Amino acid sequence: MLALGAGSVALLALGLAMPSPPALVGSFVGIAASWSLSAWTRGSGAPGGTILAAAGIFVAAELAYWSLEQASVPDEPELLARRAAGLALRAVGAVALVSFALAALGLNAGGGLLLEAVGAAAAVALLALVLLLARAGHETAER
Amino acid sequence: MTRYATPKLGAYVVLTALGLLASLIFARPELALIAVPFAVLLAVGLAYARQPDVRVHVELDRERVLEDDEITLEVELDARDSVARLELLVEIPRGLELVSGRNPVALRLEVGEERVLELRFRCARWGAYRLGDVHLRARDAAGLLAWEQTLDRAETLRVYPRPEQLRELVAPRETQLFTGNRVSRQKGEGLEFADLRPFAPGDRIRRINWRASARRGDLWVNEFHAERNADVIIFLDSFADARRGGTGTLDQAIRAAASLSERYLVGKDRVGLVNFGGVLNWLRPGTELQQRYRIVEALLNTEITLSYAWKEIDVLPRGTLPAKALVLALTPLLDDRAVSALLDLRARGFDLVVIEVSPLPFAEPAPGRSGELAFRLWKLLREGRRAEYERAGAPVVEWQEGTPLTAILEGVSASRRHAHAHARA
Repeated sequence: MLALGAGSVALLALGLAMPSPPALVGSFVGIAASWSLSAWTRGSGAPGGTILAAAGIFVAAELAYWSLEQASVPDEPELLARRAAGLALRAVGAVALVSFALAALGLNAGGGLLLEAVGAAAAVALLALVLLLARAGHETAER
Repeated sequence: MTRYATPKLGAYVVLTALGLLASLIFARPELALIAVPFAVLLAVGLAYARQPDVRVHVELDRERVLEDDEITLEVELDARDSVARLELLVEIPRGLELVSGRNPVALRLEVGEERVLELRFRCARWGAYRLGDVHLRARDAAGLLAWEQTLDRAETLRVYPRPEQLRELVAPRETQLFTGNRVSRQKGEGLEFADLRPFAPGDRIRRINWRASARRGDLWVNEFHAERNADVIIFLDSFADARRGGTGTLDQAIRAAASLSERYLVGKDRVGLVNFGGVLNWLRPGTELQQRYRIVEALLNTEITLSYAWKEIDVLPRGTLPAKALVLALTPLLDDRAVSALLDLRARGFDLVVIEVSPLPFAEPAPGRSGELAFRLWKLLREGRRAEYERAGAPVVEWQEGTPLTAILEGVSASRRHAHAHARA
């Protein structure tokens, strides 16, 4: 598992250096497989750090594709700041989503009260997101 | 605009599918958790992806500039819809260098936003350029879809060669009939004293040379040399070019041709151009500013065109090479067709001056003894060609890169004066 994880990270580095989108896909599949194997070997129930692992893989993928875009055409400073804020928001959203999914599936991630709080916050955030999207869609339709 | 899926979309679809499949195969619902953020981003991103609507207007501040001048290109963007990330690339032709501004650039445009991007270029090399072809690539907020478009907004930019400061020009041996600034051998209206002759009815009183008349006891009048113009033909050999890096013999020759034509036209001479190469161009002799622009425009379009066809002077139409014209040839003496054509011109009695734009600074011997031997033989062959011109009565001056053209012209004038004095003696 360690070898698979290390190999995937090396592939990620190679994919970024080349830059090569297929190598990035392979590296993320490898990282996800490594984490999945780890979860499988530990038996039933969600492993500790599930939320962070899922959100981490997502954020790493977002960062990797962002860096590929930067390699071809760099962003203006204003756009760079905006995208960084957007990425932070997506990271929080991913944590909230995974927490919500965990809670919905009734799995025990071993986080205790803290994870319960994150799950509740995720549910609220998801509702807010749905409302926000519905409003944005309504505005687009009006225009 | 052409829409296509980015590699990110494919990767996220693969990751989502694999996560869900693994969850099903291993009967472990938590494995699907990895796929959740990717799946949600895909769903939201694709649902809200819209084709961007951006109007682009490109404007150059000037259409005609001199070499080394700077120009500004303004790219005006008018967004009818918001664009999360718009990549913009202005195609820059070789010969222009970006001095300030970002190219390519990625920016965000809000609905109704108008942006003006300023790109400043230095015109490093003469030529006619098309500047302003814009490539646009827009991405949606999630970066899953992209739209590409190439806009042909190019405007023509003419970069004229910067003329050199010339202190002296090669004076033609013969003048023409029209009034100019050259002292003719013929007598007529002018300022330069030529001779004395006895007074004849009709002579103006102010022409009488009172001192000579008093000495000879009869009326004598001054005669003057007429001031006439001359015909100058600039013969540009564009069969071959020796180049290294960003410069070559053709560049040097074209700069010289532009400088010479400008100076001769200022002196009221008629100037014509013969561009003798793979593609044959000519301009009949003319005067004034209009002719100057015609010549420079013709020079801007000069390029080396490979051709194996043998060309002679006979292919030029009548009137292109007027009798008594001074032919100033700018040639690297690399192609036999140009060498032969120039000898033909001399044989027909044209006043010929050959300025050899030396290809030596752009050539290097091949490694090894045989390479050096071949290089020496080539140089000897060139010397033989020069001697052939000398025998035909046409002076050849070698012009090496870095030497001012005015120094070369002064050398030519001095050698012509010397040859003239020698012939008279």
